[in-house]
Amino acid sequence: MVHDLLESFIVMSVFFISLIIRGDKDEHAVLCNEDETYDLKIADTSNLLLFVPGCKTPDQLPDISASPQLVHAQIWGFSNCYWELRRQRPRLKKLKKLLMENPYDGPAVGMQEEAPGPKYTMDDLLERIQASREEIEAHLQNVHACEIDGFWRILDFDYEMKLLGHVTQLVDSESWSFSKVPLSVCLEELGSLEPKSMIEHCLNCYGRRYSNEDGQVIYALDEDKVCRATAQLLLQNAVKFNLSEFQEVWQQSVPEGMSARLDQLRGLALLDRSSKPETISLLRIEDLPEDTLERFNSLFSLREKWTQDDIEPYIQDLCGEKQTTGALLTKHARSSVQNGVKVYNSRRPIAT
Amino acid sequence: MVQIVISSKAGEGPAEWLLVELQGEVVSRQNTGLAGNLMGDLHYTKEGVPVLIVGHHILYGKQVKLEKPFAVLMKHSGLPRDEEETMETNQENPTSYTVSALIKKKLIFKTRPKPIITNVPKKV
Repeated sequence: MVHDLLESFIVMSVFFISLIIRGDKDEHAVLCNEDETYDLKIADTSNLLLFVPGCKTPDQLPDISASPQLVHAQIWGFSNCYWELRRQRPRLKKLKKLLMENPYDGPAVGMQEEAPGPKYTMDDLLERIQASREEIEAHLQNVHACEIDGFWRILDFDYEMKLLGHVTQLVDSESWSFSKVPLSVCLEELGSLEPKSMIEHCLNCYGRRYSNEDGQVIYALDEDKVCRATAQLLLQNAVKFNLSEFQEVWQQSVPEGMSARLDQLRGLALLDRSSKPETISLLRIEDLPEDTLERFNSLFSLREKWTQDDIEPYIQDLCGEKQTTGALLTKHARSSVQNGVKVYNSRRPIAT
Repeated sequence: MVQIVISSKAGEGPAEWLLVELQGEVVSRQNTGLAGNLMGDLHYTKEGVPVLIVGHHILYGKQVKLEKPFAVLMKHSGLPRDEEETMETNQENPTSYTVSALIKKKLIFKTRPKPIITNVPKKV
């Protein structure tokens, strides 16, 4: 579609610093500035649009009551259609997919070089992902990617948990408060086990960095992030868990002093309170389709009826500017009341 | 994937053009095409109302500020004319667009054109 763009065309625009159109041959074109992504859609009008460079309007003409003036103005061109920009959420699912082609699971052992595999620099990513630079950078942070030797790498999850385990065990043995984890000691004590850059990366992903009165770099570990990651580690090993058993194991697995709570698992796990016993299973939003219709179809084939509270974390990211999840549900689902609770199901028949 | 850069010409900002919007079509009298021909005369009344005379029709319009401005982009292909069909991602000659102009207001003519009938002298 990008190759079909007209010789010269018009877009509705906002003021910009730099604009880039991005898209593969089979993708719809998007327009990006530094931090936003817009869909490009062609719009038709039955009216004729004429473009007249330099043509003045009454407010721009001097007030002459004397002889009338004749000014020649040339019509530069005309059109019946133009391109419209509509702000949209960037297509970032491809980013994780590319990075997962070759996850990083630690430095090469001994004299061996790291096994070959595709690696991407930021410029490579800008070439392939339909999003603005800032949106890409934000998503890299979300997926805990880090730059190693100029390439952006996502960590193999088990390796990431290994790093986190080192940190939490050190916090425990040093009896530090979770909100006062000193960077320098971590690097000193753990530097022999893993590269210092990886230790620091782990702290950046699971903690908030700040400086204390002495100017030392300290981290405050994020309880929710640590517990959530621990839950994922447990849940990915089985299809379904008995909920109460899971909660027990989970609480025992998180660092002592941290509280594991079910609300930490929104967008990561799905509870089934209708089954006996109640169960929990892994359902990550990033594993679901990116397209709105496909996302709803996928959710409704997993479960026929959803409460708003259960489905909300899995559709939150689909909301357009100023759109609520309620509006999305009204558009894509049908509601009914079951046992006094409002539930949503698909508008069309879904094969379960 | 293709990345096409849209940029503004260095220096001062892009020029401002005017959009004239008409309902229907404009055709040339002898079907010779529109290029190079005189389309008509644009006048403004003392009150600033735009008046367009095309052929023997007169149209009254109004000036409107565009809610969303337009930008007119010119394509620069970087490839010689005959090679434009096989455009692949070619880093030495990437396609780019520059902003030629911005359009912030338009003259829209929505009223039905009225024919101008010249004075026919009475037969003596």
